[in-house]
Amino acid sequence: MTYVLFTLSVLLVMGFVGFSSKPSPIYGGLALIVSGVVGCMIILNYGGAYLGLVMFLIYLGGMMVVFGYTAAMAIEEYPETWGSGFEVFGCFLVGLMMEVGLVLWVLEFDEVVVVVSLNDMGNWVVFEGEGLELVRGDSIGAGALYDYGRWLVVVAGWTLFVGVYIVIEITRGN
Amino acid sequence: MPSIYINIIRAFIISLPGGLIYQSHLISSLLCLEGIILSLFIINTLIVLNIHFILANIIPIILPVFAACEATVGLASLVSISNTYGLGYVHNLNLLQC
Repeated sequence: MTYVLFTLSVLLVMGFVGFSSKPSPIYGGLALIVSGVVGCMIILNYGGAYLGLVMFLIYLGGMMVVFGYTAAMAIEEYPETWGSGFEVFGCFLVGLMMEVGLVLWVLEFDEVVVVVSLNDMGNWVVFEGEGLELVRGDSIGAGALYDYGRWLVVVAGWTLFVGVYIVIEITRGN
Repeated sequence: MPSIYINIIRAFIISLPGGLIYQSHLISSLLCLEGIILSLFIINTLIVLNIHFILANIIPIILPVFAACEATVGLASLVSISNTYGLGYVHNLNLLQC
């Protein structure tokens, strides 16, 4: 339980290797959904309940559904998975081996010094306390979007509206 | 610097060549683009939650807004390619007219 955050981040990288080794888009979408779920659990471990919910609803529930429908439309009859063919399986295996190497490195040396010194172990572990905690900081901060960030809301809303219009114009074709 | 950023930066570094290298489908590169954005969102959220900068919680909400715009434009061009040629293969993106 102490190393749950470490395990989740390793699973995140494995999910990213899964869709970055380019199987057929349906399996890539599946790996991206799994990576999204694991990323949401990492955010939840830091007390970001609202931002984890934002990611589940908007990212997985909105954008992945759109990707799933588009992949179902633009796909062929025999999709290639991770085990069919040498390239996809080779890329997947190389990525996994690199991650295993990093896990062994961290377990042996306790720090990674590449450009900066990543050695603060305090965030791999979870402080298990007792009692009830109130997680409110992130939802309050997101609520400040409509107070200090009024103009940002207007710009983002206008961007989305123009984006929808652009999509309609592109798919109209001629 | 907290050690968890190692794996999240690795996730970004893994998706980035995935988005730049083309295999047969165009939508695979769009999926790797979504992976880049997902890893950026995660590291953004973790930094903001770590330093307890409450006002900066706006940034992990605005980032998926513009990511959604980018993804929909990519998907619209994919759909128009798929409507013209039948399949969303990358080698369909040619302008040879002979």
